[in-house]
Amino acid sequence: MTAPLPRPATRSSASGPESTGDPAILAARTQDDIVVGDRLVRFRWRTRALHWGVALTFLLSLLTGLPIWTPILGWLAYLVGGLQVARWLHPWAGVAFSALLFLQVIEWARQMRMTPADRRFVRLRSFVAYMRWQAHDEEVGKFNGGQKLLFWLSALAALGLLLTGVVLWFPGLFGEGLRQASWLLHDVTFILFTLLIIGHIYLGIVEPGTYGAMIHGTVSRDWARLNHPAWYRDLTRER
Amino acid sequence: MPIQGLEILQSSASLRGQPSALRKTPFLSKYIDTTTCIGCKACEVACQEWNDLPSVPTKQTGTYQTIPSLHPQYWNLILFNEVEVEGNFEWLHRKDQCMHCADPGCLKACPAPGAIVQYTNGTVDVNPEQCIGCRLCETGCPFNVPRFSEKTGKMAKCTLCVDRTTVGLEPACVKSCPTGCLHFGTKEDMVAMGQERVAQLKARGYAGAGLYDPPGVGGTNVVTVLKHADRPEIYGLPANPTVPATVRLSKGPLHWLGLAAMAGTILGLVGHYLRFGPRVGRKSASSSPPAEPPAAPSAPDASRRTDR
Repeated sequence: MTAPLPRPATRSSASGPESTGDPAILAARTQDDIVVGDRLVRFRWRTRALHWGVALTFLLSLLTGLPIWTPILGWLAYLVGGLQVARWLHPWAGVAFSALLFLQVIEWARQMRMTPADRRFVRLRSFVAYMRWQAHDEEVGKFNGGQKLLFWLSALAALGLLLTGVVLWFPGLFGEGLRQASWLLHDVTFILFTLLIIGHIYLGIVEPGTYGAMIHGTVSRDWARLNHPAWYRDLTRER
Repeated sequence: MPIQGLEILQSSASLRGQPSALRKTPFLSKYIDTTTCIGCKACEVACQEWNDLPSVPTKQTGTYQTIPSLHPQYWNLILFNEVEVEGNFEWLHRKDQCMHCADPGCLKACPAPGAIVQYTNGTVDVNPEQCIGCRLCETGCPFNVPRFSEKTGKMAKCTLCVDRTTVGLEPACVKSCPTGCLHFGTKEDMVAMGQERVAQLKARGYAGAGLYDPPGVGGTNVVTVLKHADRPEIYGLPANPTVPATVRLSKGPLHWLGLAAMAGTILGLVGHYLRFGPRVGRKSASSSPPAEPPAAPSAPDASRRTDR
């Protein structure tokens, strides 16, 4: 696995002797998977920027797509300036989302390979136990099985939404059957993906310390030991 | 543009129309007899003129047909089908236009509230002001009628001259027809006229003659007499048109299921938070690894039922 980089307090000195910033956060600009004092750097700046790029373009796609999908959520269109604007913005937001997610796949694909521990994690029984806050698996690395599964499902969904979306965007270029199938698939895919993302957002905020990993990039030792023990061991060489 | 004086029976992306049900309006229909059409295109000209549509460039491709198919600026087109029927060459003219279905697939597919409306007289009209140019109506229509204009970014099609019919005039095409193959009146009268004509044709040996008023879309407010109604495809008409099943599924059950699933997931997670609260790790004073449960690594269910 990832070899821990030399344990730095070193990184903070790079920003000059007068810097009063949090050394771990400063280190997280360019590096991750390192220990800085009592913090562990989980996501460097580039990773976080990509994640939020994907998140915001997805939310924009959702916000502009939902009022087109159902008149019950038509009021959402007013947030972007009306249904006409939503219709104009939606395909471009979707393209931006797919493009950024593609970059994220490049960034993360290697780290997201499923291990036996990950497969164990996503089994229904153990996932239910996890949701009851009762699961603990010492083999969970930087990402747990659920996160990895979400990652691959997101990539799949983005690909499906992009392909069917292009057909819906330029219906004149495609046959009737393909247009009908694309419409149905676009709807099914976005519904399932949105459900996943609702769960993802919940798990990201329900536990203190988790969203911090995606905001300033660092987590506490306790958090890491609880959630990603194998990753913690790798970085700290403890145990 | 929706006509102010007409009540709306159903409207796109709306739960219901606004019929007051105070007045009783019969469905109004156009009657087309393809067997007496001489292909003079007077109706095409009348349509362009009444609707103020600039004409579109044409190309000589060896056919009498004005343009290959309907166009956002050309809502009424005589198709000149050249087909062989039982060894004989036949030149089958058909007036192609919006069929004004009782169950309009375009209206069902349309996501923009009020962009497509059906009046209580059965006419299906479009409202460019509300149209968002998404082109989903093209997928909803089983007759391939709606046309998207790159110029305006909106959909356009025949309105059955609702601006004329609402003040008691017949559609422009009907007004112009020199052979009397076009008529306009209540659906009941037009169907009766069609059946009379079909009987006449059958008596003359056209066993396949019939009236095209497909039940799959609830019937249409354009009823067409066909000499070969047993083979509508040779006229470029679908044999059994319906609103596509995928469109009905997307706009119907799937849409409700999706909304319920999203609401259910959010409510479920709120319930989950109330029941389980935030996930909080044990605070360990030292940096030593947890000595507490689970003692054995990878025993995910070791501490079941300890949450109460």
